[in-house]
Amino acid sequence: MSTVIVITPILIASWPAIAAAVTAAVGTLGFAIARNRELEAESELSESSRAEIEVENSEILADATGGGEELVVEREGIVARFSRDGRGALKVCMEGKGYSKAELRRVGEELVGRVTQQYVYHRVVTELKQRNMAIVDEQVEEDRTVKIRVRNW
Amino acid sequence: MAQEEIEIEIDPAGKVTVRTIGIKGARCLDVAEFLARIVGREESRELTSEYYEASGEVQRQVDVKQRR
Repeated sequence: MSTVIVITPILIASWPAIAAAVTAAVGTLGFAIARNRELEAESELSESSRAEIEVENSEILADATGGGEELVVEREGIVARFSRDGRGALKVCMEGKGYSKAELRRVGEELVGRVTQQYVYHRVVTELKQRNMAIVDEQVEEDRTVKIRVRNW
Repeated sequence: MAQEEIEIEIDPAGKVTVRTIGIKGARCLDVAEFLARIVGREESRELTSEYYEASGEVQRQVDVKQRR
C-alpha cells in the first residue's frame, strides 16, 4: 500500500550548478569535455549536420557578471554545446559529420535527459541530508533509473 | 508496526516517482509534496487506502479529546 506522486523536473539553477550537472552526466554517455579552439577549427572545415534542442522546463539564473556561458563536450565526432539561450533557458547545439539530424537530435535528447537526472539527483540527495533523512539503499537499474530508499524523518 | 519508508525513483530523463510506504494519513503527502516542491511540477498523484487510515498520532489526539 502506498501513495504515489509523479513529478516532472524543472531545472532552475545558476550556470555553475548546471555546468556541474553536465560535467557529471555526460561521462555516462561516453562524452568528455572538449577544448573550444580545436573544435571551432574542425567545424569550419567539415560539412557537419546540426540539431538544436531547447530544454523547455529550464531556467538558468543570470550570472551577476553576465558572462557568456558555454560548455562543450564531444564523443566520436559529435560535438554538443550547452549554453544559456536569450530567454535564459538551457540550449544544446549538436553537431557531427556523418550523422543525420535525427541521430544528433536523439543523442542530444539523451544527453539532456542525463543532465536533468543528475541535477535532480543532486537536489534530492542534498535536501534529504538537510532534513536528516537516512538513505538506506541506493541502486542504479539497468536502464539507468536511480532508486533511493529513505527512512527516519 | 510497519517500517515507514519513501522510495524515490529518478528515471534517465529526470522524471521522479515518489512512493510512500507504511506512512498513514496525510503525513505521507507532506513527504511527497516537499520533494515535488524542490524537483519541479507534480504530474499525477495516486492515493491508496493507507492515506485514509489515521496515523497513530492523530488517533491518539482523537482518543484524548473523546475522554475529556
